[in-house]
Amino acid sequence: MNTRRRSFLAILDNAVRWTGMPARVADDMSDAPSVDRKHRPLRWVPIWAIAFSCALFILSLIWPRTLDVVSSGAVIAVMVGFMSSIAAMVPGIHTSGPLGKPSLEDDEREAALRKDSYLFSFGLLTVLNCLGQPCLMILSHLQNWQTLQIATIAGSTLMLNATLLGCLPTLYASWNLQQLPKE
Amino acid sequence: MSLYNRISVFRAEQGISRRQLADAVGVNNQTIGYLERGDYKPSLELALKIARHFGVAVEMLFSFERFEPIAMTFKRAGEDE
Repeated sequence: MNTRRRSFLAILDNAVRWTGMPARVADDMSDAPSVDRKHRPLRWVPIWAIAFSCALFILSLIWPRTLDVVSSGAVIAVMVGFMSSIAAMVPGIHTSGPLGKPSLEDDEREAALRKDSYLFSFGLLTVLNCLGQPCLMILSHLQNWQTLQIATIAGSTLMLNATLLGCLPTLYASWNLQQLPKE
Repeated sequence: MSLYNRISVFRAEQGISRRQLADAVGVNNQTIGYLERGDYKPSLELALKIARHFGVAVEMLFSFERFEPIAMTFKRAGEDE
């Protein structure tokens, strides 16, 4: 490994350390964590993310000319960056329990909740895609969509899928987690 | 079918917290909370571990019917012996 590459990796390492996440993960994974982090219902973050992705998908379907003017590539790039960061963050926070906790350490209730959440999400995503893709194909034929419009809709569909994949398990698990009274 | 339990009664009687019981049987302390509230049905393994921790038969902790007062259970157990 040359010096330049090593220094670039060192910069990345330092950047990650600067966020405080490695120290927090190490603390969570230690035998005596300093803070007792619990599963907590996280409903609004996934709802906002899913609503945002749905809105963009619908917008790309019914109002593609506006996206053309704004530059569809730029809009999609910004949206994908924003939504994928939320979608990636949500399961990390919630369905995996405390940050950095691997699924192998789940107890039986957590494992069952995780399994149910992913089963529900994959099932719903499969049904939506199986129904939605033929509809999009028929629409593209009937409305004679151009290449740019197809690219825009494909991009928003990809983002919607990624958001649902990231957020639905958390939303499902949060919905099933009622707040416990304090001891 | 509903599964009733009286984990909280035994826990209070022995003066242990949810966390202590959770650590003893190897689950998250929230799981004990959901169990006590009846929101989660335990596996046979977990039910047996909890019963063993309290030193009672599993039927004294879990039941498909609502529990009678614990004093009545002990009284009847004494009469049977």
